[in-house]
Amino acid sequence: MQTRDEVLEQVKAALVELFELEPDRIMPSARLNEDLEIDSIDAVDLMDRLRRQTGRKISAENFRSVRTVDDLVTAVHALVQA
Amino acid sequence: MGERQTYLWRILVTGTCFVLFGIGGLILGLLVFPALLLWPGDSRLRRARTRALVQRSFRLFVAVMSGLRGIGYEFEGRERLGRPGQLIVANHPTLVDVVFIVAFTPAPACVVKAALFANPFTRRVVQAAGYISNAPTDQMIEQSTAALKSGDCLVMFPEGTRTRPGQPRHFHRGAASVAVRGAAVLTPIYIRVDQPLLDKTQAWYQVPPRRPNIVLRVGDDIDLEPYRHLPSPRASRQLNAWLLEHYEQELERTAGYNESA
Repeated sequence: MQTRDEVLEQVKAALVELFELEPDRIMPSARLNEDLEIDSIDAVDLMDRLRRQTGRKISAENFRSVRTVDDLVTAVHALVQA
Repeated sequence: MGERQTYLWRILVTGTCFVLFGIGGLILGLLVFPALLLWPGDSRLRRARTRALVQRSFRLFVAVMSGLRGIGYEFEGRERLGRPGQLIVANHPTLVDVVFIVAFTPAPACVVKAALFANPFTRRVVQAAGYISNAPTDQMIEQSTAALKSGDCLVMFPEGTRTRPGQPRHFHRGAASVAVRGAAVLTPIYIRVDQPLLDKTQAWYQVPPRRPNIVLRVGDDIDLEPYRHLPSPRASRQLNAWLLEHYEQELERTAGYNESA
């Protein structure tokens, strides 16, 4: 079972690797679109990456309400708990 | 015929073509495709048949448009279209360019705007042919990638809509993203018209003063190798920026008026 902190680290690692973001910018409150400039096409790549990393089926539906890094961690955490 | 008569003639031809297109879509969607379903075959074979039929219909439509002297055209290198897993990208200066591309590409799939899936004249055709809606984006990317990986040939317009005359050209990253994710080969078509023709700002009856000519030139395949080793977000950003610049250069070398600023 993964803790929320472990999921946060995974999400951070994915964001850094895919989008070359400075780890400092990935605050829980950072908005993916406005602050980190991740658009709807990037979201597809991000989902792919998280799918591989977690081994879970992740669909766009799981992320419809995701706006911030914190939302994303919550959504992924919920999936790996399920 | 004098200039005035040919001008009026072309308005008549254009109007007729719009009506023919609508009626053609209805006949195909309501009568021909349902009849085709009676033929045996699995879903893949059926879709291939439907696409081939759409292609033939568009070929006929091209013959009517040019036969009635509504438009002249040149299509260079079209024998390189229609390879398995081929992503074809094109700029989009006029409403009619897509007709030429579909007419001369063997059984292509296309990414088309979502509105065509709601339009009563076109929706049965785009559904039966298994065309892909441009929205929502994540679905478009996933379906397009899957289509290419299954060996389909796919047509996309990176501008997303017709070029807005006088404005800088803009490419959406979707096409580049699909290319790095799923294309076996990426082939550009450079399209030029010699005068404004059914562009984003024109009504159907605003025909050009002279008979329009459209030039479609199939370019060399674009090497995707440099992009294959990067994470997809970076690869698609780089490819998209490169494509846009490349298009500006290649369009310079294609005869026609320059619609973008």
